[in-house]
Amino acid sequence: MNVVNANSVVMKKLLVFTVVMFVFGFALVPFYEKICEVTGLNNLLQADTLVENPQVDTARWVTIELDANVRGLPWQFKPLQRSVSVHPGEMVQVMYEISNNSNREINGQAIPSYSPQLLAKHLKKLECFCFSKQVLKPNEVRQMPVQFMIESNLPADINTVTISYTFFELGTNNAAAMRDSGNRS
Amino acid sequence: MAAVDHDIAHAHDDHHPTGLMRWIGATNHKDIGTMYLWFSFIMFLTGGVMALTIRAELFQPGIQIVNPELFNQLTTMHGLVMVFGAIMPAFVGFANWQIPMMIGAPDMAFARMNNWSFWLLVPAALLLISSFFVPGGAPAGGWTIYPPLSVQMGMGMDMAIFALHIMGAASIMGSINIITTVLNMRAPGMTLMKMPLFVWTWLITAYLLVLAMPVLAGAITMLLTDRNFGTNFFNAAGGGDPVMFQHIFWFFGHPEVYIMILPAFGIVSEIIPTFARKPLFGYSSMVYATASIAILSCIVWAHHMFTAGMPAAGQLFFMYATMLIAVPTGVKVFNWTATMWRGSMTFETPMLFAIGFIFLFTIGGFSGVICAIVPIDIQVQDTYYVIAHFHYVLVSGALFALFGGTYYWLPKWTGHMYDETLGKWHFWLSMFFFNLAFFVQHFLGLAGMPRRVPDYALQFADFNMISSIGAFGFGLTQLLFLYVVLKCIRGGEKAPASPWEGAKTLEWTLPSPAPYHSFETPPVVK
Amino acid sequence: MKEKKAKLDGGKLLQISGAVFWAFFGVRKQSDLELDASTLTPAQVIIGGIVGAALFVGSLMLLVSLVTS
Ligand code: HEM
Ligand SMILES: [Cu+2]
Repeated sequence: MNVVNANSVVMKKLLVFTVVMFVFGFALVPFYEKICEVTGLNNLLQADTLVENPQVDTARWVTIELDANVRGLPWQFKPLQRSVSVHPGEMVQVMYEISNNSNREINGQAIPSYSPQLLAKHLKKLECFCFSKQVLKPNEVRQMPVQFMIESNLPADINTVTISYTFFELGTNNAAAMRDSGNRS
Repeated sequence: MAAVDHDIAHAHDDHHPTGLMRWIGATNHKDIGTMYLWFSFIMFLTGGVMALTIRAELFQPGIQIVNPELFNQLTTMHGLVMVFGAIMPAFVGFANWQIPMMIGAPDMAFARMNNWSFWLLVPAALLLISSFFVPGGAPAGGWTIYPPLSVQMGMGMDMAIFALHIMGAASIMGSINIITTVLNMRAPGMTLMKMPLFVWTWLITAYLLVLAMPVLAGAITMLLTDRNFGTNFFNAAGGGDPVMFQHIFWFFGHPEVYIMILPAFGIVSEIIPTFARKPLFGYSSMVYATASIAILSCIVWAHHMFTAGMPAAGQLFFMYATMLIAVPTGVKVFNWTATMWRGSMTFETPMLFAIGFIFLFTIGGFSGVICAIVPIDIQVQDTYYVIAHFHYVLVSGALFALFGGTYYWLPKWTGHMYDETLGKWHFWLSMFFFNLAFFVQHFLGLAGMPRRVPDYALQFADFNMISSIGAFGFGLTQLLFLYVVLKCIRGGEKAPASPWEGAKTLEWTLPSPAPYHSFETPPVVK
Repeated sequence: MKEKKAKLDGGKLLQISGAVFWAFFGVRKQSDLELDASTLTPAQVIIGGIVGAALFVGSLMLLVSLVTS
């Protein structure tokens, strides 16, 4: 085998390796999702499981402010009450309402966000409209529950928390929508 | 002799195109090496001007010179230009000049591809820099281009992504060329274990490049489709995850920092034995340690993400792994020191830069280990402490090695000796101003000054002023370097084949300046 | 191109794992290195290196789980 051939053999091997690594970059996406799922990190779409007989701390009140937003889709979205006061350990249900103000069918997904961040650890959700996408027909109005509990080991200095949901439209170019809605500050 | 490649075979006649065509159509490894070096020096000055603008703004608290938007663009572009435009191409330039001469090959394996890898860089750099002039300006979210900012930015971001794609493709082609040259084109008798360490470190670096660059290409392709084609890889609203970008980016990014330092290790490992007039202590350890650093560098990436949200078990894993990677790095420092031990040393400019490298790189290594300790990093992450860390490893590490290597090989490249007095001035001024600019940034970071901000609280004022003075001094000193190099190209004392008494590698058997075609008949290495 | 029939007996495995271990540490005696270079094939070293890296990751994870439990 002369040097020219030997060189092109090495080049081909390295090109294959390059392509493999390029694909590997994309393979990290499902891999990452799998890890998050297996380790229970960052699971937005699954209901939590509850411990048996949670202790209700009737001596303590926590105020929960409910916040609702839409980003870039023609819906109205609001909680039916602005805030609720609950005991840690107590199961509560709150209602939200969405209405589609346009005459097209729209798929939306709600993403939760908590303040303080620490709340994420102590909030157990049994049911939520955010576990799946919501499909609204033209001008449809829907009321949806969230059922949850705040664990009684929430640090004692926290008396008021905020649970916020934002609806995003699925199946469109969110990046472009975000740019167009003047999101660049 | 072996007919190697038609490009090389063609080069047998001594006529070669002159003028502009010589450079545009260049396939000679020395011409291409020269172009890489000048390209990277121009980019170095470009990035340097950005850095000095940043430092001018930070000279005093308050906003004086650039508005915050432009400031953010400058920090981002400074990083991108220095990493992808200055440091990486400079090392490729060294590889082009030196690898064929050091292993006794007539040229690189794929001379035509070599030409493309260089010329791709030029449009890529123009694309990157012209992003300053489009609506919305250059990318401004940091050189790490994290979403969501990088998804929301204007078209400057698309241009940067394309530029990175092209530069990535160019460096993959360059790496393929280097690996093939080293594996297949060595002179008879030049076994792998006889190769100079510079060649070894570049071989391993080239493997790291083909491993890491495609992953970056994947990540920025995902960014591009998120931006323009409605995918949701990093968009939380669509089920994606911005933190995932950080993981993919740093899976590339940490090997990348070693890509920028391993060839520097190689250069220093050539300089130290020459001026200590002793063979490198622990040659084999050096080879093994380089390989080990390369492998380990693929499993420490999340030390850049300790504050991005990670379970304690993950933080501990990456903390332990990162601290262990310092072991083979430390072994190298010991080997260099041991090489100098009882050597008959002289302190010409290349040696000064090499010793400066060892000294300051070690400081950077230590601050790296400090950043790797999770509870400390939670304090210093995104502060000037991290800036200080990586400038100690990149400027006084990679860049000092590049300066040292330039002085070391300039006689071979130009046929003239450089001006030793001015070279020493360049070293001492660089050393002084570098430390003036960056040492105080450790204190700023520990005191809590965040990075990437155009304004700061009053208590940081003094150190920032000192740092800015140092930065301007360092920047101006580099014009002296330019002068020394130009002077050396245009004339000076005639350099003998081997101007350095202790130099043992093959390139010193060639006359100075190295002939346009060298080792067409391979030398025999005993 | 080269003989690929090197037998994997116990001594050979020991030599490979030794080479890989010292490589990770970054120190290797010159004589051992020459022995490695002349008797081990690249494939053996690469596979050894990958296995070594996997073991390294595994032992770190074990350590972490001990520390965090
Ligand atoms: C002893 C070896 C090293 C260790 C233990 C180490 C550790 C670290 C750690 C933990 C960080 C993250 C700090 C933070 O963001 O809070 C970091 C950042 C960084 N390191 Fe190192 N490092 C080492 C060597 C190097 C070398 C050799 C280079 C390059 C030549 C380098 C370049 C960088 C860069 C560029 C960053 C900052 C990236 C950014 O956020 O923009 N490091 N290092
Ligand atoms: Cu790193």
